[in-house]
Amino acid sequence: MQLRRVVITGMGSVSPFGRGVTALTDGIEAGRSAVRKMAGWDHYIGLRSQVGAPAELKDEKLIPRQSRRSMGRLSLFAVQAAQDAVDDSGLDPALATTGRMGCVVGSTTGSAISISQAFETMLPDHDLTKLSSMQFFHCISHTATMNVAQYLKLNGWVMATSAACASAMHAMGTGYDLIRLGRQDVMLCGGAEELHPTVTGSFDVLFATSVKYNDTPHLTPRPFDRDRDGLVCGEGAGILMLEEYEHAIKRNARIYAEVIGYHTCSSGDHVSESSRPAMVTCMRESLQEAGVEAGQVDYVNAHATATLQGDKEEAEAIHDVFGDKVPVSSLKGYIGHTLGASAAIELAASLAGIRKGVLYPTLNLQNISPECQGVNHVMGTALQREARIIVKNSFAFGGISAVLVCRVMADGK
Amino acid sequence: MTKDEVVTLTNLVFEESFEIDKAKLTPQAKIFDELGLDSLDIVDLIVALQKKFKVQIREDERVRSIRTLDDIYTFILTLKQEEEQKRPGG
Repeated sequence: MQLRRVVITGMGSVSPFGRGVTALTDGIEAGRSAVRKMAGWDHYIGLRSQVGAPAELKDEKLIPRQSRRSMGRLSLFAVQAAQDAVDDSGLDPALATTGRMGCVVGSTTGSAISISQAFETMLPDHDLTKLSSMQFFHCISHTATMNVAQYLKLNGWVMATSAACASAMHAMGTGYDLIRLGRQDVMLCGGAEELHPTVTGSFDVLFATSVKYNDTPHLTPRPFDRDRDGLVCGEGAGILMLEEYEHAIKRNARIYAEVIGYHTCSSGDHVSESSRPAMVTCMRESLQEAGVEAGQVDYVNAHATATLQGDKEEAEAIHDVFGDKVPVSSLKGYIGHTLGASAAIELAASLAGIRKGVLYPTLNLQNISPECQGVNHVMGTALQREARIIVKNSFAFGGISAVLVCRVMADGK
Repeated sequence: MTKDEVVTLTNLVFEESFEIDKAKLTPQAKIFDELGLDSLDIVDLIVALQKKFKVQIREDERVRSIRTLDDIYTFILTLKQEEEQKRPGG
């Protein structure tokens, strides 16, 4: 069976730097940090990490009420990013109702704010009569993808991936497969997430969050740095439009990149500890599917959340696969860890930078940790370099690894 | 509770929960056809009215016959009168 080719023809994001991929890259290029000390978080007993990278929700009232009512914060982010990806692609919106266009949008959970509100409403008196009819639609695991589909009137395949921090990557991998196999022609793929004390708290109880920089939030997270002390949660959504190659060429679409390889696998041995062997396997399998050698890769956009163990394992795994020549950076120093949205937001930023001929440096990486040596870290200033083949890593609790390989295209070539 | 108070609070529910322009909130306005509510909105309307007027109407069969804003005003007033009558010495 001849598999079809898949290209990326549209990108949208809502990130801690605002709405739009341009706002995202503007923030990165200015070397800014979107991390803040979070007001009110000191009311939570035992929440040691008081920092986060919030995104601003704007213009949500432009979405008609009857569409908006089923959207929690993360769905609003997802719908805005999806609309922007469609607009960016120039695709005829009429395709939405042909059954050949769908979406896969993932998140760790449904709206954390709405889930929290539901319990706060129900539990004091164990009374369900105060619950809104929409509470369920805000809280369900496929809330983002369902809302994107309803808002854009998509009637093709609609699915949600839920693999915590790798949700967006699983979404892109799934969309890639659906188009390759001929089941769909266009898929909006990505993830969404929202910042909430319960979200940061879930990492905090595992001692995975940054706690030493509550009064100097711009200095954390610090991927691969000697003084890193954990992740900082962010929020937003990233949506990429994946499209069958001939379909894109026929309509003369701008093509950012071709997706040429994808793999996901489990470590099968621990729910929270990162696994260098699993990461290595995942990167090698995705390269093999892409039909490229490690030496042909021009850039690795790392997952690197700034946890002590995760960064070490990833740096070692990248070294195992690529040696010390391929430029590597993480974008989480700028916008924190946008969790289920991170792979899509970071891939969009990387591709946008590459179109301008730059590879972005890892913010807050000042002294490479001894255990993260052995790879070519992009640090300090952006690297002016053409990149053709790029690798995007994404890892998640549960022993999940997921890796995407893209070939950057200019003028469809 | 006077009818004016019921009208004011009910209309506030329609403005706050359903973002409906005040000018459209006439007593004869049909809540489905003219104000654009649907079956899911009715669940939220009930929740909002319960909260605003401190009443329990979720299981009340009379909710099913509501068609216009005036029907709501009348229903709420009736409930409030029933409440008064149930009070000791009322």
